[in-house]
Amino acid sequence: MSTAAPRQKEPPPRRTEGRLSNGAFALLLTAPGLALFAAIIFYPLLSALFTGFFQQDLRLPGREFVGLDNFAYWLDGDFLTILEQTLVFTVGATLLPFVLGFALALALNTGLKGSGFLRGLFLFPWVIPGVVVSFLWMWIFNANYGVLNGVLVEAGIIDESVAWLGRPGTAMLAVIVTKTWASFPWMMVMLLAGLQTVPKELHEAASMDGAGSVRRFFAVTWPQVRGVASIVLLLEFIWNFQHFDTIYVLTGGGPAGTTETFATAVYQTAFNGFDIGRATALGGLWMLLLLLLVAAYLRITERKGDV
Amino acid sequence: MTSTTSTALPAVERPQPSTARAGRGTRRRMRKDLLRSRIAAWCAVAVIGAFGLLPVYWLLATALSTPESVFQFPPKLVPTDLTLGNFTALAENDQLIKYMVNSLIVASITAVLSVVVATYMGYSFSKFRYRGRRSLMHLVLASQMFPQALLLVTLYAVFSSFGLLNTYTALVLSFTTFTMPLCVWMLKGIFDTVPDALLEAASIDGASRWRTLHSIVAPLAAPGMIAAGLFAFVRGWNDFIFALTLADKEKQTLPPGLVSTYIGEFQTAWPQLMAASLVVSVPVVVAFMFLQRYLVGGMTAGSVKS
Repeated sequence: MSTAAPRQKEPPPRRTEGRLSNGAFALLLTAPGLALFAAIIFYPLLSALFTGFFQQDLRLPGREFVGLDNFAYWLDGDFLTILEQTLVFTVGATLLPFVLGFALALALNTGLKGSGFLRGLFLFPWVIPGVVVSFLWMWIFNANYGVLNGVLVEAGIIDESVAWLGRPGTAMLAVIVTKTWASFPWMMVMLLAGLQTVPKELHEAASMDGAGSVRRFFAVTWPQVRGVASIVLLLEFIWNFQHFDTIYVLTGGGPAGTTETFATAVYQTAFNGFDIGRATALGGLWMLLLLLLVAAYLRITERKGDV
Repeated sequence: MTSTTSTALPAVERPQPSTARAGRGTRRRMRKDLLRSRIAAWCAVAVIGAFGLLPVYWLLATALSTPESVFQFPPKLVPTDLTLGNFTALAENDQLIKYMVNSLIVASITAVLSVVVATYMGYSFSKFRYRGRRSLMHLVLASQMFPQALLLVTLYAVFSSFGLLNTYTALVLSFTTFTMPLCVWMLKGIFDTVPDALLEAASIDGASRWRTLHSIVAPLAAPGMIAAGLFAFVRGWNDFIFALTLADKEKQTLPPGLVSTYIGEFQTAWPQLMAASLVVSVPVVVAFMFLQRYLVGGMTAGSVKS
């Protein structure tokens, strides 16, 4: 498989005029970006990891070192519940849109008439602001006048309206459905892009040789899109693991904390409870888990010769 | 019938090596196969399409309904008394206009800042090889995955100590945390497509490295830079959590502004909220129509190169 050609083409050596070497020039180009990254991402992040060891009120200056108390507060308390709920949300809101997006991508890739138009149309849910997505589904799920209840009652599937977002049993499902609606178009676009790299001739040849559609899918299509699929799945997983907007607007972590995830718990602890020490302690534990995911992501992109 | 024959045509016009082996029976089976997959494809499009588009229909239908007509159960699936009143009500709401102006200002500055900074960084990553480059690239890539809610907690404290809460600066800087990584990677991907020979030629003609970047490479990459800028604009325009927390009524943008305006404690003004939601979506939808072309390319270059 591997060719003799180097993986990354070296740029031609360029004349170095002025005082700077090429390396120094290149670093100078990155300086404004690095300064921004340091100021708005890395410093706050490090400071967050540090703050977890203090008792601190968001509204007041000053803080007191409390060691591992904040971490113990979570580990002895809700940590496992929050982890479990975060995972339920993350897995659901990753797999569901993947299945829908993949099915749609496969369908559009068969060359249906108007598939370009359809692709554009289906992008709408992904394109509109997340908060609009939340408003819309809040209205659809509305306990008293919601269209979902209306349709289900009319069809005789349920006897009376259900407060989808207000019941512990259904709130998480409702949140997952909402997030699925917002992200399956992205999955579709990415997987369609992957599918379009599969040469048509391969399909035709396999078909000539008598391979049925299922066989062709696993023999021709899947090997070609496996790379894209694994990365969109992992990316979506990482994003959902820290997703905030949908849950916060739809349920705020309720009812009875049943849709509480790391994101909403950290936010509520800091901005409603003003306990920035506890918030960042939970955030630190959350970061640790995320780092494992990010490491996996980097590993995969690296292996694919992307960087 | 017409569709099956028309799609079978290319195979006839452009014979494959294996066509010689394909007998009449094989061809008939293939045609049946094609028809079957067509039907399956249409079913998938119909079912997923209903899930994808019926909520959009409901958004439109509610936005065009009178406030009284939506408060009945079961809801009327086809609204009868259509009105544009919910949209005109928006135009008369000064507070909403203020939110919209804030959104425009903050998202535009975010876009410009992100693109300028990311252009230099992306160019450096694309056209130079130096020690630490890969680590920096990884750092940029990884930073888009840090949890925003956690970042927000300490950003709030930082902005607070610098007296920057409730300023455009705080919003622009915090939005940049999630626009920059993708912009850098999108632009790196775009600079990768600029041939090295061009840079060499410029250098031989005596252009300095700055001049090469500013007057030769940047114009070539301009469409990509616009795409990255639009992307950053959209992300800034859409943000909810940072704008909600870091700014008050004076400097807040539309998404949190809509929550405070319409989500009432007892009864929400749904038709007006849906109308406002549509208005908020318009710039984003328009931006993405332009972006579509770059979207897949940029995102695959940025994070999912295959």
